[in-house]
This record gives sequence, C-alpha cells and structure tokens, in this order.
Amino acid sequence: MNHSHNRFGRKLRKFGPLYLMMIPGLIYLAINNYLPMFGLSIAFKDINYRKGIWGSDWIGLKNFEYLFKTSDAYLITRNTILYNVAFIIIGLVVAVGVAILLNEIKNKIASRLYQSLIILPFLISMVLVSYLVYAMLSIDNGFVNKTILPALGLDPISWYNEPKYWPYILVFVNVWKGAGYACIVYLAAIIGIDPEYYEAATLDGASKWQQIRKITIPLISPVIIMLTLLGIGRIFYSDFGLFYQVPMNSGALFDTTNVIDTYVFRGLMQLGDIGMSSAAGFYQSLVGFILVLLSNYIVRKINRENALF
Amino acid sequence: MKKSLMGVSALLISTMLFASACSSGGNDSAGSASNAGASSKPTEKSVELTVAFPIFGAVPKDMQVVQDEINKITQEKINATVKLMPIGFGDWQQQTNLMLTSNEKLDLMAVFGTSYSNMVAKGQLVPLDEQLEENGQGIKSALEPDYLNAAKINGNVYAVPTIRDLAVDYGILMRKDLLDKNNIDAASVKTLDDVERVLKTVKGSDANFTPLIPGAVGMTLREGYVVYDDLGDSIGVLPDFDNGLKVVNLYETQEYADFVKRMHNWYKAGYILKDAATNKTTQFDLIKANKGFAYMSRQKPGFETVESKSNGQPMVAAELLPPVATTSSVTSIMWGVPVNSVNPDKATAFLNLLFSDKDVINLLDWGVEGKDYVKKSDGVIDFPEGVDASNSGYNLNMGWLFGNQFLSYVFNGDDPDLWTKMDEFNKSARKSKALGFIFDVTPVKTEYAAVSNVITQYKLPIEMGSVDPDKILPEFISKLKSAGIDKIIAAKQQQLNEWAKANSVQ
Amino acid sequence: MNKENRAWQWSAHTVLILFSAACVLPFLLLVISSVTDENAIVQNGYTFFPDKFGLQAYDYLRQQSSLIFHAYGITVLITVVGTTASLLITSLLAYPLSRRDLPGGTALAFILFFTLLFNGGLVPTYLIYTQLFHIKNTLLALIVPGLLMNGFNVLLMRTFFMTTVPVPVLESASMDGAGEFKMYYKIVLPLSLPILATVGLFQGLAYWNDWNNGLIYVTDPKLFSLQNVLNRIMSDIQFLASNSSMSSHASDAIAKLPSETFRMAIAVIGVIPILIAYPFFQKYFVKGMTIGAVKG
Repeated sequence: MNHSHNRFGRKLRKFGPLYLMMIPGLIYLAINNYLPMFGLSIAFKDINYRKGIWGSDWIGLKNFEYLFKTSDAYLITRNTILYNVAFIIIGLVVAVGVAILLNEIKNKIASRLYQSLIILPFLISMVLVSYLVYAMLSIDNGFVNKTILPALGLDPISWYNEPKYWPYILVFVNVWKGAGYACIVYLAAIIGIDPEYYEAATLDGASKWQQIRKITIPLISPVIIMLTLLGIGRIFYSDFGLFYQVPMNSGALFDTTNVIDTYVFRGLMQLGDIGMSSAAGFYQSLVGFILVLLSNYIVRKINRENALF
Repeated sequence: MKKSLMGVSALLISTMLFASACSSGGNDSAGSASNAGASSKPTEKSVELTVAFPIFGAVPKDMQVVQDEINKITQEKINATVKLMPIGFGDWQQQTNLMLTSNEKLDLMAVFGTSYSNMVAKGQLVPLDEQLEENGQGIKSALEPDYLNAAKINGNVYAVPTIRDLAVDYGILMRKDLLDKNNIDAASVKTLDDVERVLKTVKGSDANFTPLIPGAVGMTLREGYVVYDDLGDSIGVLPDFDNGLKVVNLYETQEYADFVKRMHNWYKAGYILKDAATNKTTQFDLIKANKGFAYMSRQKPGFETVESKSNGQPMVAAELLPPVATTSSVTSIMWGVPVNSVNPDKATAFLNLLFSDKDVINLLDWGVEGKDYVKKSDGVIDFPEGVDASNSGYNLNMGWLFGNQFLSYVFNGDDPDLWTKMDEFNKSARKSKALGFIFDVTPVKTEYAAVSNVITQYKLPIEMGSVDPDKILPEFISKLKSAGIDKIIAAKQQQLNEWAKANSVQ
Repeated sequence: MNKENRAWQWSAHTVLILFSAACVLPFLLLVISSVTDENAIVQNGYTFFPDKFGLQAYDYLRQQSSLIFHAYGITVLITVVGTTASLLITSLLAYPLSRRDLPGGTALAFILFFTLLFNGGLVPTYLIYTQLFHIKNTLLALIVPGLLMNGFNVLLMRTFFMTTVPVPVLESASMDGAGEFKMYYKIVLPLSLPILATVGLFQGLAYWNDWNNGLIYVTDPKLFSLQNVLNRIMSDIQFLASNSSMSSHASDAIAKLPSETFRMAIAVIGVIPILIAYPFFQKYFVKGMTIGAVKG
C-alpha cells in the first residue's frame, strides 16, 4: 500500500507539471468541443423548438433515410470517395515534391519568393476561385475557348455542360489551392531534419535522389502519415465551395460534381431541417471515424511510433 | 491512470452539461425579471420591443435617429419603445434561426413565405387571431380579409402579410431604344408568339447578340412566365389556378413540355443568352453592357419606372399574363411574433402601427423628414438639397417590407397615384382557387430532399432552353418519379382536400 | 557531384517557377479585374489585357473607408491576440502529448483526435457560448469559438515535437534538474521554431480570414472584422442569386449591388496585408537552434 502510494507520488511529481500544462487546452476542448456534443442527439430527434432540444421526440434513424433512399446515393458516395482519394494521393505527391525542391534551392531570396507565391491560392476564397475558373472556362469569353483552343486548332468546348472534364478540373483546382498549405507543413518538417544526416550521406557518396529516398522521406513520414490519416478521417466530407461554387451549380455536371455535401445542401435548402443536416454530418463523421480507427490500427501494427493514438 | 482520467473528464463534461441546462432554463426568468425592473412608470411599465428585419448592404447611418423618432411616437401611443435590429439578408436565415432556438429576446420579426410553414410546424410563432382582435384592428381594417386569411395554418394566423403588390402578373420588359429602332409597338406584345416575333426582329442578323436574358440571377425563363398556382414550391401544382383542385406534376404537363420546347428553339435560334443556365451576372449589368434586350419576370404597377432606373435606361413593359393572387404571392413577406417575445400584446400593438400609422411607416420607409427626404407636393417626396442615394443617411427603400406600403410617400419620379393603382391591382386580381392553402412538408421530408436535388439538376438547363427537351425531359420526369415526387403530390392533394373541406371551397 | 547539384538547382528552379506562375497568374488576373471597367468585364469577361480600366470598385471602397479602417483595426487586434494565445495553448498541450512516457497520453490524444471528426453542430455550440458564457457581441466572440485551439494544429505540433526533439536531450536536461516548464521553454520551443512559425501562420490566417464567428456571435457593427464587412456584401449577392423570387421587390437593392470588379477589389484588400506580413513568418522558417547546441 505504502509502496504503491510512493510510486504514485513520484509519478505525480514527475508528470504533474505536464498535466498542469495541458489544463488550458483541455478546458478549451471541453467547452468548445465536448459540451456541444449533446447536439449529436439532434440527428436522432424530430426537433420542435417549443419542446426544446432535450424535450423533442426521438425518431430513431428517420433523419438518415433521405441519404440512402435516393437513386443518387451510390453516385454521391462514389464521387465523394474517389475525389478524396485523388486529393489525398495527388495532393501528397505534389506537396512533398514541392517542399523537397524548395528545400534544395540554395538562393534564399528565390526560395522565400516561391514560398510566398505558392500560398497565394490558399488565401483566395472559393467564391472568387469560381470566378477565376469561370474566367478560364466561360463559353464566350473564357481564356481557354478564346485563346488556347483556337491556337491548337480545336473547337470551343461548352465546359459547364460537359461532365467528363470536371474530375480533372476539380482535382487540379483542389491541388492548386491546397498544395501551398500542405507544402509549408512538409517544408517545416524537412527543415527540422538534422543536417548531420545529409553530411554523412554525402561523404558516403550518396546521390541526391538516394538522400531524398533514404533520409528525407523516412524522416518526414510521421507527418505524412498524420496528414493522410486525417485526410482519411474526412473522406466522406468534401469542400462545399469547391463542388458547389466552382462548377457554378450547373445541373448538367451533377454526374461528376455531386458529392454528399452538395446533395445535402440542395436537398435541405427549402426544408431547412436541422435534424436531417445533423444526420448527414453524423453519418460522414462516423464513416471517417471507423476508417481512421482501421488505418491507425494498421499503422500501429507496422510502426507503433507513427500511430496517431 | 488512463481509466481514471477518462472517468474524470466524463464526469466533468456531464456536470457542465447539467449546469448549462439549468442556466439556460434560469436565464429566461432572469430576462423577464430585469425587464420588469426596468419600468419607471408606476401605472404601466414601458416595454422595449426588439424588432428584427432584413436589409441589403450596410446598416444606414441614421438608423439610430429613425429609431429615436419612432420611439417618441410609440411611447405615446402604445407605451412601448422599439429596438430595431437590422440583419443582412444573406445572414438573416441563420441569425434569426439561432436567436429563435436559443430563446433570445425577440418580439417581432419579418417572416418569409418560404420558411413560414416550417416555422409554424416547429412552434416558433405565436398564433395571432386573438391578438389581432384585441390589439390589431388597424391591421384588420387595412388588409382585405381574403389576404389576411391566406396566411392561416390550421385555422390560425401566425403572421400578417405586408400590404404591397399581393398579386403577381408576368410580362416582358424591353429596352426602349431597340424597340424604337425596330419600330415595334410594345402594346402589340401579348403572347409568347409575339415575344418570339420581337426577339427575331431585334436579333436581326447579328449572330453574337442574344436578346433574351434571365429575369434575375438563378431565375429560369419558365419562372418568369407562370401559368399555374405553384402551391408553395412548384412540386405539385394547380394548372390555371383552379384545375378543380386537382394537384398535378408540373413537369408532366403538356404546357410545360410545350414551353421548354419553345425555349429550346429560341436557344438554338440564338435568342437566349448562351450561358443563361450558369449566368451569375445581374439582369441590369447585362442590359447596361448591351448583352441583352429584354427579360421576362414578375411585374407590378410602377415596375417600368423602377426597372428603368435600375437599368440606367428607359425600359418598356408588356404584360403577358394577367395578375393572379396565390398563397405564395400573398405570404411572401409577412410579420410575426416569435414565441420568444416577452410581450406579444405590445408586439402586436406595434405591428398594428405598421399598418395604420403614417408617421411610423414613413420613418421606416424613408427616414426623417428634412434630413433624409423633403416633401415636394402632396404625398410625393425627394432627397433634400445635396443628398442623393449614395450619401443619404437612410435610404433603405424597402416599403414592401414594413407593414402598409400604401401609407408611405411616393418618391419623386414614381407615379403619384402608384398606391391607388396598386390597390386596384390587388383588388381586381383573380384569386387562385387554392388561395389560403399552405402545404406542410413534414410528412414527406425524405422524398422532398431527393426531389429538390433532381429539380436543381435539371431545372436550369431545361428551362433556359440550353438542352434538348426531347432527350432530357423524359429522363427528368423518370428521375423525379424515382425520387418520390408522386408521394409528395399525393400528400399535397390530401392536405388540399382537407383544407378545401375545412374552408368549404368547392 | 557538382554537376549533379547544378542539375538539381536548375530543375528545382524550373518546377518552382512554373508552379509559382500557376499560383500567381490567377491572382494577377484578380488584381487586374479589380481595376477593369465594369461594363468591359460583362462584355468581354476577365482578361489580362482589358480594353478599358476603371477604378469604380475602389471608389466604392473609399466611400466606406471609415467603416473599413475600423474593421481592419478589429481584424488586426483579434489576429494578434488570438494567434499569440493560440500558439501558447496549442504548444502547451502538444508538448506533454508528445512525451511517449506520459501516462494516459494515448487516451488524451484520442480525445483530441475525436474532436476533429465529431462536433455537436452550430446550434448547440451557439447555445453553450451565448447562454453559458455570454460572449455574444464581445471581442471574445471573435477569438474563442472554434478558433482558439484546433486539434489539427495540436496533433501537427505533437508530431513535430516527437521527431525534432530527441528524447536523450530531454532526459539529460531532466538529470540536470531542469523542470518541465523550463525544458518546454528552453529546449522544446527553440528547437521547434519552424513548426511554431507554421502553426502561427495557419492560426494567423484562420483569424484573419474568419467571418463565421462574426456572422454568428456579433450583431453590433462596431465589432465587425474586415471579413465580416466584406462577407456581408458577398452573402447578400449569394442570397439574391438563390432567391430569385425576391427580385421584383429588390430591384433597387440588386441595382445597387457591388459589381464583379468590386468583389475582386474586396479580395485584393483582404490579401495585401497578409502578403506584407508574410516575410515576418518566413524569418522563423529557417532551421531552429541545432540539437548540437543544446547538447553542448
């Protein structure tokens, strides 16, 4: 008894300050995230304000029905997943590639200039991005139809009526807009690598390419894994602006642009039903959650150190 | 250690949850108590009413002055003051929803037809029948009973329609310069065939000029030419505003097929703006930039003058469909008392002033006399010297929002008899057989979400003529069916039958 | 060897120049559009070489200048205060979580991660903040809800602390009698300048660009941040676009709507200050204190 008490005391002395440090953050989590979680119940309720959120009737899974009882259910699920997979993979390759190249640049001024420029797209709101895309793709006045296609001897394309081009357009826009942001994270990771590793490798006669493969990538892999796991967690979510504003809500494109978020938005615009929108969010979170648990489990099996939790 | 930490945090969270539940309950009583304490008069306490309404753009500089002036009147007449709470139109839905859910103080608010039945279904509005009897005689005498009753849900009025253009007529608005140039008499334009003829003439041989543009951003051509009662949402409609009260699927009607076919022919002939289905430029900017000649839309008395000003050039209107009053046209803009109100009696009394007090109305519509406007002649006003729309301290120009527009002054340039004509327009308008029927969508929410999606997918391209209806319309209809439109229509029919029985409509 | 290096330099420059161009050209188009004549845009669309320039958009902004300057002030204030507070709270939580020996660390990381996926939604959050903490129409409303600490940033920082701060260094410092707070301040933070700069940048951008808190928790125009002022205009436009039935009433309002050039000008005045402040972050974006220095 006494013995274990002592050990506890020692542990407390050792880790007490660490727990103390976490208090502000944990309090914030409790207030900002966990207290409002009672709202998750809204997904299972028929909300009537006269009865309040607590008093409203439970209705089981009825709020979820509209997500599945539609012929579009397969389409929107497929689109959402495929786009996210493409975003995760292509986004990763581009961001890591650019970060590595940025790190290679010896000229400090050029390096800083590139760094500032590639973050620009991240600063422009999706609505404005949609104008810029429109500036490129407009039928009459678009840069592509007016300048590029005639130069190549091709006929103008009615971009906003042709669903087949949009997977490429949307992936491009997403990578273009987000790569700068992710790139900064990876760059910070690469900068944090101890230069001694490279010096040693250079002495051993390793080529640049070998150094990247054997040193850089393995050492930033915790960050890559973390960002990828988070991407997987949000695999049922999609950037509403990207899929709604950028294709200009054009009905002709729905086959390749309709995703869960846009479907929910369009379906509930008139209804404005909080129960049904909560249900959609709950469904998206749940799927992402299960997938992350699985992936995290796999990561844990391979390398315990890299697991998120 | 691991376990205990989890346990502690769970406990922490649950206590805080409990605390929040208590405090939100306790807050109400605190709110009303402080209100009671604020009274200074021994006889009857003066109440402050929070009044929310949507505006476009920034809050006018003179909002506070207007509020003070209104309070001088209300203090005397109903022993209450108001706190005006203007909210941006774009934020309106979300902000009011949050205020209503969290039981914040709100005594009177604008209510829009699109969310009205939802708000009533969710219990957010106070029934007003008894209130109107006691505190709202001014409303009852100003508003034709048919129109007040149009807002009834299950026999109760929950919100009062503002007095403005309560019926709708559809027509085409054309640029005068091009009409003159081509020697076209606008009065001769009465049907779609006439419109087609005019478009052909105006287009002439200019391959790049597309004369017809959408009547508003996101509005299809079909929405500018409506020949049925939309029964709230165009999902299940009454053709010719009667049809023996039999609800039909709009998209299956012959009229619809004919109309979109005609639009497609126009589109192919180059009469319609090429990217009409994705257009995001306003009709005014398109006209100003010479990208169009005319658009079809809802009209009303005085429309020509208003739109000419907006387009920066003279426009001529031609009516294609006579005015009809439907539930949608009447209930589109209303005022209601939310259940949050601490004093529904006073709130109704203030609403009554909005329908009967010329001074209050003109303060809200035009601001303070001498500062924001000056009287020109009887009932006509203008900006004071050195003031214009860009530097005016109060230029909301939203008479249609604040109660009884017929009590407001007419701005210089508009027809001095505008309100007489508008009143005549409302009185003479045909009334849809289903005027007063409001659909409650709750029983078919699931299907409604799916059908809404199908409609957004097809509506714009097909109704702007940019796709071939022979190919697309059958696909559209079959997708609507599989989304469950028939179930919605059946529910609507059933509710309509019940409504007809309760109101003895034959 | 040297040749290889030069080849790398060349190809790196080429790729980065192309990538930067892809990023900067659309932005340039935006700037040019903001000074293009309004009718020219409707007629000919956006172009790098407009037929006619015009400053209408900026004239409109100048008319509103007192409002906009005030809003700039609010934005700068919340960005500075918010980012500082946020960096402190985030790193204080991330450091203990990065310690593999911390009992309960995994569970806490999970609790943190859970918030990234599940949230109670807007209405419950609003209820908590307004009914329990009464922050409606205060500056705190612009700083605290949703923004003050982001689980993503905590996890990011934690991962960095795990990889860039070697355990032996911490252990030897501990042997020397350094307390946890001292180690956090003297070793962890100096070693992690790049990630602090990164998270600081993300937080700063989040505060600078946020309009959501203002929309939800603020109705007093005196507290509007820059993005709130600008976003109100944009949301009016969106509203009219999706509620065309209002068009016959709102003719006057639609006609007064700021044109497309104005929307571009809005973006320009929102972004320029960021570009000016950006080099400040880059300064910390060099290698932090080397591990060798700490060891020595």
